Amino acid sequence: MSEGMINGKIVTIPEVATIEEIKDEIREVKTFYLNFDKKEIKDNLKIKSGQFIMCTIFGAGEFAVSLPPSPENDRFHITVRSVGKVTRALHALKPGDKVGIRGPFGNGFPFAELKGKNIVYVAGGIGLIPLRSSIMHVLQHKEDFGDVYVLLGARTPDDHMYKENLKEWQGGVPGFKCFLSVDVETPGWKGEVGFVHTLLDKANIPIENTVAFVCGPPVMFNTVIGELMKRGLSDENIYSTLERHMKCGIGKCQHCMVGRTLVCTDGPVYTFRQIKTLGEQI
Amino acid sequence: MFLIKKSDVLKIAEELGKEYQLYGPFVEKTSGQTFFDKVGSASEINLGAPIPSAPPKQSVFPQMERILSYKYDSAKKSVEVKPDFTVTPKALFGLRSCDLNGLLCLDRFFLGQEFVDEVYRNHRRGMFIVTNSCTTPFKQCLCVCMDSGPFAKEGYDLNLTDLGDEYLVEAGSDKGKMLAEKMGLKAAADAHMKQKSEKLDKAITLFEPVAVDNKAWISRVINRVTTGFAKEEVWEYVGDQCFECGACTFVCPSCSCFNVVDVNDTACAGCTDRLRSWDSCAYEGYARMAGGHNPRKPVEDRRNKRFFCKLSYSQSKKYLRPGCVGCGRCQWVCPGDIGIPNVVTYVRREITKQG
Repeated sequence: MSEGMINGKIVTIPEVATIEEIKDEIREVKTFYLNFDKKEIKDNLKIKSGQFIMCTIFGAGEFAVSLPPSPENDRFHITVRSVGKVTRALHALKPGDKVGIRGPFGNGFPFAELKGKNIVYVAGGIGLIPLRSSIMHVLQHKEDFGDVYVLLGARTPDDHMYKENLKEWQGGVPGFKCFLSVDVETPGWKGEVGFVHTLLDKANIPIENTVAFVCGPPVMFNTVIGELMKRGLSDENIYSTLERHMKCGIGKCQHCMVGRTLVCTDGPVYTFRQIKTLGEQI
Repeated sequence: MFLIKKSDVLKIAEELGKEYQLYGPFVEKTSGQTFFDKVGSASEINLGAPIPSAPPKQSVFPQMERILSYKYDSAKKSVEVKPDFTVTPKALFGLRSCDLNGLLCLDRFFLGQEFVDEVYRNHRRGMFIVTNSCTTPFKQCLCVCMDSGPFAKEGYDLNLTDLGDEYLVEAGSDKGKMLAEKMGLKAAADAHMKQKSEKLDKAITLFEPVAVDNKAWISRVINRVTTGFAKEEVWEYVGDQCFECGACTFVCPSCSCFNVVDVNDTACAGCTDRLRSWDSCAYEGYARMAGGHNPRKPVEDRRNKRFFCKLSYSQSKKYLRPGCVGCGRCQWVCPGDIGIPNVVTYVRREITKQG
């Protein structure tokens, strides 16, 4: 076992992984498939849906990123938007290059509490990244859940993430529905036009025995939650993952403090009831 | 319990200096200020010096330190990751009770909870602590309000109390007792303990009215802050006064927020140091994320964060004491006059107004 590994987590010293494959997702966003150089790490790393890792780009720095792979059977990968100095450095890498990984950290989605419930996923743009692992998990254990809805909004059709997955999710899995929208009229787009919350009516989402996972930019997040609550969904049945500036991932640097909680150890998954009591902007 | 002649007290430091990296308070000649830092020899230490301007925090949590280094060969695609956990046992000599409590706060924070901070643990490992009882409080002192002084109660190996011609030496650990015995110190009698408690009683009467006043109010203020009943206007006022200089956090014995950056070594291709440095929740960029979104932009949002941290009951639940140790340094350095005692006063004023 690695020196820095505690309870299946790589805590302080990054473990080296090789980039095996890079896939372009949408503009500025790429998916990186990674393989740990040490086999024992690969075998012992246990990820839960909703968790995140700290990723080191050697020579540039470290950043926190949510984990999109299904905890069961996907290859280990991260999907990253090029937005700052370190993520730009990652985007410049090629297959065969090395990165450092610490984690996984955070609480993850509470699947045990969700048995038998309908699940509504509402994502805005790259907000689909942290939700993907959960959607994949639910899809693999369809019998444990009720109806599942995935609602994804983006600026244009080109901004829809994980196109292959979307095709599959739209492909008629019984009890599994996927709706897409774009913010502005785009030539060639025959689907819904409007912000993602307009899909809530189109999808005719159930309210009884339903939980919702919402993830996206702050404006979208607030609107969608307002709409969900207007329809009668209670705040403890709405989940979201919060994003914060992080430096350590293990509850020490305090950069990710929201209210009296730390996103890295108490989050990143919160119910909206919790978020309301944190007393901070989201 | 032991006794040592006043003129001999630094012999303890001398003895420690043989085995440990020695830290202690000294007065810098040019500035006349007290510092608490590494000393070349025991003779530099000045036990009678006023409270040091900065706490001894940097002995366990340096302002900037390397926590890791790595070498990346991009041609060969090879990486060598080297953790940098060096161990040098340290002896802190002549620590005040407030600062010892600050250290214990850091211990609970860095060594407790789910994950242990390896870097901190290595600084703290094998440390020898000699505290020095405060018999004359300074103007800004309010340790009596925070139950952290003026005399240390736990967490020391040896505690010194100035009894006039002699120092009373109390051992707080086996390690301390062994050292006192090894040095052949004279045993103390009950009368000396009595003398110590008289000193303590006297010291408590010497606190400035601001501390005495705050003492009666601190629990109500903590309650008010915890329950979120401290009005928004109080935090806005506090925010308006803040210059965002970060000084309060840097001189605080229990503030521990840090930043981490990777810095490339220009002399060695592919070599990078991972450095961590003190950071302050007062800074605008503190919570700003990549892409520019800043969830904590208004200054009062950031300012009240620190006072929640210091004055909320959740701290006591988690770490068994309030986040503030009452050293008063934040009051001392703040150009905006919003050190802990003043913030307590503002919240208290608001409570009184509401009846």
